[in-house]
Amino acid sequence: MKGNLRDFSPTQLLSLVSLTKKTGSLLVNYKEGDATLSFRDGKLVYSAMGKADGSLASILARAGRISEKQAGSLSQYAAKTSDKQLGLLLIQKGYITQEDIVKSIKRHSLASVNSFANWKEGAFAFDPEKQPDEGRITVPIDLENVIIQISRLQKKDSQLEEEIPSLDIALKFTNRPNVKLSELQLNKDEWRVLNYIKPDNTIRMIANKLNMSDKQVRRVIGSLREAGLVELAHARRRPEKLTEQDKEKKRSNVVRIINRLQSIGAES
Amino acid sequence: MQTQTVKMVVTGPFSSGKTQFVQSISEIDVVATERTISTEEERVKDQTTVAMDFGRITIDDDLILYLFGTPGQRRFDFMWEILAQGMLGFVVLVDSARPETFREAQSILETFRAYAPTPYVVAANKQDLDDAWAVDDLRVALRLDDEIKMLPCVATSQEDVKNVLLELLYSILEEMELD
Repeated sequence: MKGNLRDFSPTQLLSLVSLTKKTGSLLVNYKEGDATLSFRDGKLVYSAMGKADGSLASILARAGRISEKQAGSLSQYAAKTSDKQLGLLLIQKGYITQEDIVKSIKRHSLASVNSFANWKEGAFAFDPEKQPDEGRITVPIDLENVIIQISRLQKKDSQLEEEIPSLDIALKFTNRPNVKLSELQLNKDEWRVLNYIKPDNTIRMIANKLNMSDKQVRRVIGSLREAGLVELAHARRRPEKLTEQDKEKKRSNVVRIINRLQSIGAES
Repeated sequence: MQTQTVKMVVTGPFSSGKTQFVQSISEIDVVATERTISTEEERVKDQTTVAMDFGRITIDDDLILYLFGTPGQRRFDFMWEILAQGMLGFVVLVDSARPETFREAQSILETFRAYAPTPYVVAANKQDLDDAWAVDDLRVALRLDDEIKMLPCVATSQEDVKNVLLELLYSILEEMELD
C-alpha cells in the first residue's frame, strides 16, 4: 500500500489500518522528517516522528520525567541494551513506575497521531513485514476513538477557518457591561489572548506574540466568540461624504420609498 | 427627467428564503438565476440562486427601487461585494427553524458590514414553522446588539416583507438624522 497524503488523508489512512486490523508499519516521508507508525492488529503500538525518535529516553525527557542530560546518558545506555531493559532498570532503581512509562508512551503516541493527522502531503508506504525493534516498549492504542476525535476537531477547525478567514484582523470586546472578566473561568490560553486584545493588534500579531499556530489561535478565538466575549473588528469602510444637496436628495428618496411601500397592500 | 434607481440587498444563508422575500414584494416576476442543487447535503430544496435575484418596485415617475437577493452558497460569494456596492441598506434573512445555519448568517452579516457602512436589519424568517426559534432567542444566538433591529417574518407574506423593508428604511432615515 503506497501513495501520497495529498490524495489519501492521514485520517483516512489511520481509519483503514484500524478497520482492517493491519499489522505492520506505515512509513511517511514528510518535510520535517520521516515518520514511522507501527501497528499490531490495527492498534498503534509504536511511533517515531522526526526528532521524536520514539526511544524511551527521549519520551521520558519530553514528558518531563527526566532531564535532557539524563536522557542523553540513558540513550547511550539503551543503545547498548534496549528500552525494555532501560525501563526495567529505572523501575528497579525507583526513579519511575511502570505506570509512568506506559502513560508517557501513550501520550507520546497520541501526540504523534495528532500531529500526523494534520499533514497535508508526503509519500507513504505500508510495510506489513516491518515491526518495531524487539527492544522497544510497545503500548497498544485503539485508534477508533482517536480518529473520531481528530475528525471532530478537523471539522471544527475548518469551520473556524470559514468563520475567521483572515488573521489580519483585530478583535474587540463585545458590548456586555454585566460580564465581569475576573469572574470568568477561562483557560490559560484564553486569558493570554484576552490580554492582547487591542484595536491595533491583529489576530496574527497576537498569535506571533504568544507563539501560537494559526490553528491554536483560531480555536481560542472561536471559544471566546462562542462565549460572546469578543468579536472580529472588521475594518469598516467609511461612509462616503455626501454634500448637503446629496443628503437632501437621499433623504427625499428614502421618504418617497417609505410612502410607496406603505401604500402597498392598502391599494388592493 | 432621468429616472433614478436605488437598491437594497437581501442576503442570508443558503435556503433562508431570499428569493421568496424578493418575489413577495416585487412588482415584476423576480429575475432569478436558479440552478438545480448538485450536492446531497444541500438538498433541502431543489434549486438555488447562483448569481442574484432581481426584483423591482416603481416608487414614482422618476424613482425605482431594485431589490437584489444574493446567492446563498459560499461558493458564489464573489457576487456579494459587487451587489453590495452603492446599496442603501441590507436585510439579512435567517431561517429561524434551521439553527445549523445561524453561524453562517452571522458570518454573512459580518462580511456585509465590512463591505459597506450602511444600515441593516435582520429578519427571522419562517416564523410560521413549528420549530422556529423565537426572535429573542435568535438575537442571542446571533449575538446581535440590542440596537440592531430583528424582525419576525414569513417571506411568503407581503405584509411581513413590507414591514421588514420599512424598518430598514426607518433605520436609514435615523442614521441620516444622526449624521
